[in-house]
Amino acid sequence: MFNSTYDLIWLVLGLPLVGFLVHALFGKAIIDLLGARLGKKMVGGLAVLPIATAFAIGIGLTYQLAQSPPEARNVTLRLFDWITIKSLSVPFEVLIDPLSMTMVLIITGVGALIHLYATGYMSEERDYARFFTYLNLFIAFMLVLVLGNNLGLLFIGWEGVGLCSYLLIGFWYKDIANAKAANKAFIVNRVGDWGMTLGMFLIVAVLAGNLDRLGVKDGRWLSYDVILPNAVNVLRDHPVAATIIALLLFIGACGKSAQFPLYLWLPDAMAGPTPVSALIHAATMVTAGVFMLNRLHVLFELSPLASAVIACVGAFTALFAALIAFGQTDIKKVLAYSTVSQLGFMFIACGAGVYWAGMFHVTTHAFFKALLFLGSGAVIHAMMHDQDMRNYGRLLKYLPITGAAMIVGWLAISGISIPYVFGLAGYYSKEAILGGALAGQHAVANGTNYGLVSGWVGLGVAALTAMYMTRMTYLTFFGKQERWRELPAHGLHETHPSHESQIVHARDAHENYGRDGHATADFFYSESEMALREQLENEDHHHHLNPDHTPREVSISMWFPLVVLALLSIFGGWYLERNELFKEWISPGASPVLGEVSIHPQGIQLVWLSFAAAAGGIFAGILIYGRGLSEREGWDLSKWNPFRRAARRQFYYDDAMVGAAVGGGGIFATGLWRWFDAAVVDGMVNGVGYLAAGVGGLFRKLQTGYVRGYALLMFAGALGFLGYFVWLISRTAVGQ
Amino acid sequence: MTPLWQYLALGLFMFTTGAIGVVVRRNPVVVFMCIELMLNAVNLTFLAFARYSPSVTINAKNQVQSWMAGQMMVIFVMAVAAAEVAVGLGIIMAIYRLRNEVDVDEMSTLRG
Amino acid sequence: MHNSSTGFGILSLVTFLPLGAALLTLLIPEQFGKTIKAVAILSSIVSFIVSLSMLGRFQGGTFHFQMIEFVPWLKQLGVHYRMGVDGISIWLVLLTNLLMIVCTIFSVYIKHRVKAYMVSLLILQTAMLGVFLSLDMILFYTFFEASLVPMYFLIAIWGGSNRTYASIKFFLYTFSASIFMLVGMIVLAKLHESATGVLSFSIIDIQSAVANGRLWANAVQLEVLIFWAFTVAFMVKCPMFPFHTWLPDAHTEAPTAGSVILAGVLLKMGTYGFLRFCLPMFPDVVRAQVFPIMVLAVIGIVYGALVASVQPDWKRLVAYSSVAHMGFVMFGILSLTHTGMMGGAYQQLNHGISTGALFLLVGLIYERTHSRLFKDYGGLKAQMPIFAALFLIMMLSSVGLPGLNGFIGEFLAMLGGFESSASHMFGLNWWFPVIAGSGVVLAAVYLLWMFQKVFYGPITNVDVRRLRDLKLWEVSLVGVLVVFAFWGGLYPNTFLKPMEAAIGATRLMALNPVGERPSWSDLSMEIDKKGNLVQVTPRAPGGDLEHFQVERIIAPAELHFRMEVERTTAVFKEVQARR
Repeated sequence: MFNSTYDLIWLVLGLPLVGFLVHALFGKAIIDLLGARLGKKMVGGLAVLPIATAFAIGIGLTYQLAQSPPEARNVTLRLFDWITIKSLSVPFEVLIDPLSMTMVLIITGVGALIHLYATGYMSEERDYARFFTYLNLFIAFMLVLVLGNNLGLLFIGWEGVGLCSYLLIGFWYKDIANAKAANKAFIVNRVGDWGMTLGMFLIVAVLAGNLDRLGVKDGRWLSYDVILPNAVNVLRDHPVAATIIALLLFIGACGKSAQFPLYLWLPDAMAGPTPVSALIHAATMVTAGVFMLNRLHVLFELSPLASAVIACVGAFTALFAALIAFGQTDIKKVLAYSTVSQLGFMFIACGAGVYWAGMFHVTTHAFFKALLFLGSGAVIHAMMHDQDMRNYGRLLKYLPITGAAMIVGWLAISGISIPYVFGLAGYYSKEAILGGALAGQHAVANGTNYGLVSGWVGLGVAALTAMYMTRMTYLTFFGKQERWRELPAHGLHETHPSHESQIVHARDAHENYGRDGHATADFFYSESEMALREQLENEDHHHHLNPDHTPREVSISMWFPLVVLALLSIFGGWYLERNELFKEWISPGASPVLGEVSIHPQGIQLVWLSFAAAAGGIFAGILIYGRGLSEREGWDLSKWNPFRRAARRQFYYDDAMVGAAVGGGGIFATGLWRWFDAAVVDGMVNGVGYLAAGVGGLFRKLQTGYVRGYALLMFAGALGFLGYFVWLISRTAVGQ
Repeated sequence: MTPLWQYLALGLFMFTTGAIGVVVRRNPVVVFMCIELMLNAVNLTFLAFARYSPSVTINAKNQVQSWMAGQMMVIFVMAVAAAEVAVGLGIIMAIYRLRNEVDVDEMSTLRG
Repeated sequence: MHNSSTGFGILSLVTFLPLGAALLTLLIPEQFGKTIKAVAILSSIVSFIVSLSMLGRFQGGTFHFQMIEFVPWLKQLGVHYRMGVDGISIWLVLLTNLLMIVCTIFSVYIKHRVKAYMVSLLILQTAMLGVFLSLDMILFYTFFEASLVPMYFLIAIWGGSNRTYASIKFFLYTFSASIFMLVGMIVLAKLHESATGVLSFSIIDIQSAVANGRLWANAVQLEVLIFWAFTVAFMVKCPMFPFHTWLPDAHTEAPTAGSVILAGVLLKMGTYGFLRFCLPMFPDVVRAQVFPIMVLAVIGIVYGALVASVQPDWKRLVAYSSVAHMGFVMFGILSLTHTGMMGGAYQQLNHGISTGALFLLVGLIYERTHSRLFKDYGGLKAQMPIFAALFLIMMLSSVGLPGLNGFIGEFLAMLGGFESSASHMFGLNWWFPVIAGSGVVLAAVYLLWMFQKVFYGPITNVDVRRLRDLKLWEVSLVGVLVVFAFWGGLYPNTFLKPMEAAIGATRLMALNPVGERPSWSDLSMEIDKKGNLVQVTPRAPGGDLEHFQVERIIAPAELHFRMEVERTTAVFKEVQARR
């Protein structure tokens, strides 16, 4: 079963899973056993170790893969048969190829750094083990997602990471708002998964329904090596079917990768701890949609119309989210919208046909967005968990390492470059995307070149990106005021509701226990145990930001990942772009449908244009925010201009959707229950019952209950019968 | 030999008396006695018919059976009557213990 | 063919062992409550072990009934004691016995009238097992109705506050619906008599007459009526959309073990009946009747989910979720694709495990707090982390998360439904899978909402604040079901393999024309590895059924409906043009 070095991939998959199991089963026990300090160190180490080891193995495997010739970079390994019925076979198979290994490296590499960071960030958390349980499980699912050789396994990972996202967003579940954000994330993703499953079904139906044309024998309809070659055969001449498949799958991608109609879970997902935002909601999980588009690129390339839709949705989302970012004051929300916006860029790339550029941006984005999130986490950590930028200012003085790293991230996401010489990570990938889009070779539908349109929109968004990121950086690190010094006592917290428990300590009420009077003792804690529990809970009360607070630089476990990511953000793009390394790596064989899509539009000086966009955005940003927070964005929302107020509320899109779904749906469902189910359907059932009872009621009057009455009736009946028979006999006698 | 109609007339008289008694009396014990009267009227009729039935002689065995049938029925009736009285009196006793009175008109809880 | 007495065998043992235990229990005086409970628990464990040994003797490669028992009974009426097991019923038997262990162990919480309770439970077990194992229609009907009586008492005596209403409704509703089935059975037997000259209530005999086309040859107009006579009975039992209202009342008011059994097993009698009667016996009309039933299934999926999402009562929510989930089962079975029917049949089991476990978990907490209303809970996760974790897993299984059992069944059922819809079979169209798929989204809505209401947020109820976590035995009780949830999700082949031949044959019975239909009585017919119906070298009854020599293919499987892209495209364009 195991006979090549590639079989080490099972170790990559297995290690995070083992980590998950260890934490789930023994994590709490380890902390209890070794005491809080040592125990947490141990648990944290046990969380980082498997991921880091997996990363090391991943590097080795990638190296080995890179050594083989491009057409041989494709290894399939099978562990067991997952679903096997006569009409469908979904084996547990992994596919090792450049695309999956790239993702594996991002997931385990960035993942290990973020795990390390989290050991510091979460160090005061009581549920330490639970956090790393979820985090390790997430890595495991994410690896299944990218390594699986069929859509079934992809879907395991797809929903599995959604589950971990749900659990981690709701990690601080005592605040009901976090729980609701978690629900929102899961449910909105489920809407996407709905499209995704239908797309998968359609693929199976189309392929299996044309079985005789294809000669596929073993029913592995969901495996990539069956889908991709055969889809071309079946779908090439049928644009409508191809378009439907592509669009259905894209709905799934929209959910997971937070694109326009379904993006609205991602900003709320910031309720989770910051390492989660960095790992799941910036670097890895949200790029799963882009990964899926890359993996199934043949299906999307078959439909120019779907490609146009993807490019347009990407461009619109990029623009929309960038505009919203201007209205946000929560540092994590700014980064969240920036993530949505950057994901939009990736979809522009996929729509325009430069899939590898999308993956390139996934990679660089993982570097600098993880960096920015971790940096913001460090800031939040230093500022007593206050996330509002209006309370920040001049933090570079207190947080030099974090600040420097964040500045690198800011410049990288802005895509700043020295034209023709050197650029930061974001520059190269964005350049490739915009170049591909502006070359306008693919997403053409009904005579309109949507690729070109989205390219120009993207260029504009690049300028906006630079501008709002400048806003964030300046409000946080620069300026003259340390604004938390002017804090009024309390009440400024718009975004971070207090964690105080609302329990009423009604001791007398405890007497009400044991209503049954049996066996209740072992159901409930005794008074002394209750006291102990309450004491424990009171220990971790929350500090709040106050005017006398002096931010301190974070510990090494937190700033070390920042530094690594900053270096990657600086040199990563340059290294991968050199000699078209990444492009050659990610797109080995020519795609069967599209030829190579150029990223060098003719007649457009893209290098200078994008430099102008980045530099102009930054310049404009400095111009506006260089002097710190203006009144127009202060605490008093009424002084904000209408545009910014609308941007703050996501242009009321979220309100409308949530209102319609939760409010409207609730009213509809309640009505359905009370007025239809209970009244009409059940009413009919009970109506039949009442009818029977009514008819019976007519006859019950006969039952007087008097024995003598019954006796009389009996005699009367007997006489009646007797008379009848006498009459009968006499009649026949007469007849004779 | 007494003619058949006299037996039947006596049976009719007993039965009518019993029937009227069942309907008009309110004491369950008396009602029971009336029921006994009715049953015995029937018994008498059975016996009379058995005695007077023309013997259909197919063979000796069948003849015996035919005049035995009525008497057999009487034995049945007596057995059933005894069982009925046992159960009935038991119920009456139970009701008496429960309510301290026995009146059939009061026993009407099964009214619909 | 099957008419020489075989005597009673392992199936009778499996079926009547609980009844024996019930009689034994009756002999124990009421005050020895612990002994009564011990006897019941022991009996359920022994039952499970015996049914495992039955599984060990089971051969998976054939669609024929195995371990057949035949004991002559009412010769003049054609009613005999006939038992047998095939790939569909064997798992339902095991599910029943598994859930029964859980239920009897949980029932140590029952405090009053223990003896009557346990006797009811054990008699119920015999009735349920009898339904799945009997091969005679009258025997089937007897067990089918016999299951109502103990269930009625379980609800009426140990139920919640509105138990009288719920129990009477449950009894009368399901009882009156199955009268139609009885009529249908008698008609089938009489038709069999007029077609072959032999009056027989044997499922095997009747199906054989159906398969060779003789049964319905002279009663064409009757077929659709009798189909609906059976269908209505099973739709009420399932329950499907307009006939579901007995279910929320009964589930909610029943004691915990009753709810688990109701959701886990009793509902499956409906879908099992569908597979056993409605598909094989009425091949000439099934195709035409798929459409209305599919409409109801799809409505049920969405409707059940929507109504579930606004329930203030924990158990009621799970009850309505059953309506939605059983909609998926029917959606899969009625798709009449191999994939869909496998999914539907598998989803039956999964629903039994996951919804059973959810009711069990609700029951565990109800024993402590005596409340089923969401408003009395909140923040339970901090208080009872193990309980929360177990609940989360079973909830996710119910949501259909890949990797857990619920997903496999739902996925296959939906895929099957999609295949026949996309191929425009049976008058179905795109809307069916699209709307049914939204049920998956809604499942997440109501289940996560439930989880949030109960487990998240601050603790607002002082009662909850003092709760300890589950005891070890309670954890292991739920843990058994959790293991099956993972097993069913990670290695479903264990369960799918043995049922595949039976499902494939059932499908061909419903779809194929005369002469190409599998027949339960014809041992020379088999389903081969590719699903084709083949002629095999004759074997002795009861011999090795798994390894057979194929002589010729009688009918190819056609596992997938032809889906012509051209046609789909044309339909799509037509829709567009209409806009």
